[in-house]
Amino acid sequence: MRYCWQDWQALWRARSLLLTMTRRELASRYAGSVMGIVWAYLQPMLVVGAYFLVFDLIFAMRMGNNAPTSRVGTYLVVGALPWLAFCETLSRGASSLVEAGALLQKNALPPVLFIARNVLAGGVVFVPLMILLTLGYLPVSGLSWAVLAVPLLLALQWALALLLAHVMAILAAAVRDALQVLGFALSVGIYLSPILFPLSLFPPEWRWVLFANPMTALVLAYQSVLLQGLWPDLTLWAVVLGWLLVLALLLDVLIRRSRDELVDWL
Amino acid sequence: MSKAVLQVQGLGKRYRLYASPHERLLALLGWADRSRSHWALKDVSFELQRGQCLGVVGDNGAGKSTLLKLLAGTLQPSHGRLQWSGRVTAILELGAGFHPDFSGRDNLMFGGSFIGLGRDEMLRLADEIIAFSELGEAIDRPVKTYSSGMAVRLAFALVTAVQPELLIIDEALSVGDQHFQKKCAQRIELFRENGCTILFCSHSLYHVRQLCDQTLWLDKGLVRGLGDTESVLTDYRTHVRLQDGSQQHRAQAGAQASSDLVTDHDLQSWVASGKRAGLLEARVSGLDRDCGPESVSLLTDSDLVIRVRAISVSDEIPSIGVMLEQFQGTGITSVATHAEGANLTALDSRDCWTTWQVTLTFPQLPLHSGQYSLSFYLFDAQGLVVYDEWKDFIVFQWLSPSLTPGLVRLPHAWS
Repeated sequence: MRYCWQDWQALWRARSLLLTMTRRELASRYAGSVMGIVWAYLQPMLVVGAYFLVFDLIFAMRMGNNAPTSRVGTYLVVGALPWLAFCETLSRGASSLVEAGALLQKNALPPVLFIARNVLAGGVVFVPLMILLTLGYLPVSGLSWAVLAVPLLLALQWALALLLAHVMAILAAAVRDALQVLGFALSVGIYLSPILFPLSLFPPEWRWVLFANPMTALVLAYQSVLLQGLWPDLTLWAVVLGWLLVLALLLDVLIRRSRDELVDWL
Repeated sequence: MSKAVLQVQGLGKRYRLYASPHERLLALLGWADRSRSHWALKDVSFELQRGQCLGVVGDNGAGKSTLLKLLAGTLQPSHGRLQWSGRVTAILELGAGFHPDFSGRDNLMFGGSFIGLGRDEMLRLADEIIAFSELGEAIDRPVKTYSSGMAVRLAFALVTAVQPELLIIDEALSVGDQHFQKKCAQRIELFRENGCTILFCSHSLYHVRQLCDQTLWLDKGLVRGLGDTESVLTDYRTHVRLQDGSQQHRAQAGAQASSDLVTDHDLQSWVASGKRAGLLEARVSGLDRDCGPESVSLLTDSDLVIRVRAISVSDEIPSIGVMLEQFQGTGITSVATHAEGANLTALDSRDCWTTWQVTLTFPQLPLHSGQYSLSFYLFDAQGLVVYDEWKDFIVFQWLSPSLTPGLVRLPHAWS
């Protein structure tokens, strides 16, 4: 884990630059638009609003038995918002190095800074939205200690996104195809998760496949807190931590093999 | 003994060459490494003390840029060690990293954070930077409305806003218009006087000679020469001449063909070129012109009389430099009008352009027999900016009356 640790230290040393860069990244995304950064928040809110409108108000669809809640829209949103956050954060993080190539070749900056910048920018947008969602679901979940799990889950989700984005960013530096593969995986990933359908609808012998999606455990945990007001099951925490460990080990190897030449590949 | 500002030990950079990105992926994942190694730089060691200036010369692809990038920290060395103390500023490619949609001022504040200048420091420095860049009102316009020259000016003003301990320059003097080049040169000169250590990479041997006391010659990634600028440059130039010896003759033919006065057509092309000044003609009187292109002209006069003509915009009074060297060998002497307070004669003035002439005489040319070459330079009045450079423009043969061996006949007395 030596190389991961070194990168982490580099990030910590450059933390004020990281914050400046994150602000700048968000500002530059919407440079030239009238509404500016409001779009970043508005778009996910519109998606969430559309789910409610379509599934709960217009069609008033109901879930089957064994589902954690009865209304489809209410169920969908709890998984969809974190998933949206994950997709956006991960894909921007993965393409960060390739996009920052020219800058990295001319400035002596640690590459991890650019990955962390994009992942952090995703957090600035989606963490407040997730907190809003949690508050909005208090009538559903009921006020309980389980709500305190949300900040922990958010921290784990962004740690997961940072590690996975770093892995993908290095792979994308080596072969640009990695970004195409990632795009495909993210668009298929939503079906390999209990976001659209409750876990109980998947055949028991195939459920393990869902856990190939690193977000599955987190989505189940969010659902448990927000829909049922229950502290997430211990196995869910274990699965998330397992993913983090595996990714960190993989990342360490990738950093070691690519460190000297990473910038040359961009 | 003062502490070294920069220590480089056995520095090497290897590029792994893969036949395809696919093989790079396989190597990254640890399945098969089928790369070939290319060492862009191998085993480079040197040390720079405070206030020293090291020139880096070499052919294209010799590893100069790789060395500079390693020192600037944008590339990781594959081998060896690098140690430095204090602030390092690299002027590599200017203007990269500006966001086109943001204003110059905004880019300035953000660019400052990349080179380690905090917000407070940038607020303090901003006025001075903007003044130096001469952007004026334009500083609050988006960078996408800037000309490339404006962006470069802003970038240069930014990176040199704070004097570093070690300044790394890659051909930076050849950017921007000549007025700004001069300002850049003056600022670098000021840093140097203040004790800044400089590493300077350039194809302009004149600048290297003027600025650097030590020179490193890289050839195919290896150190070919390191030491006193004069001796390294002599070796390097011998190497360059051997590479393209045939160009001598073409230059000579040009010397004989050039006309006496500037035609209207020539004047037009000067105006169109955007340059501020250039050499027009250089002649040596008394050359035996019947020599064919395969042999070298013979100087028949006992004095070496050289006439040089140049053109410049009228508000500029240029200065002319002449260097006399042994052909493919040692430099003998160089003289320049600005250094000796000599004046150029204005021949003609038309449409804001002035033609200048100066005649240089070496009476009773005190050289032994041999082949000699003359190079011509055109500077600004202070000799900071090189407007034009005709290297080894005239090569001539000289037969000395004395038959004893040697290079120059020094004034002497027997008693």
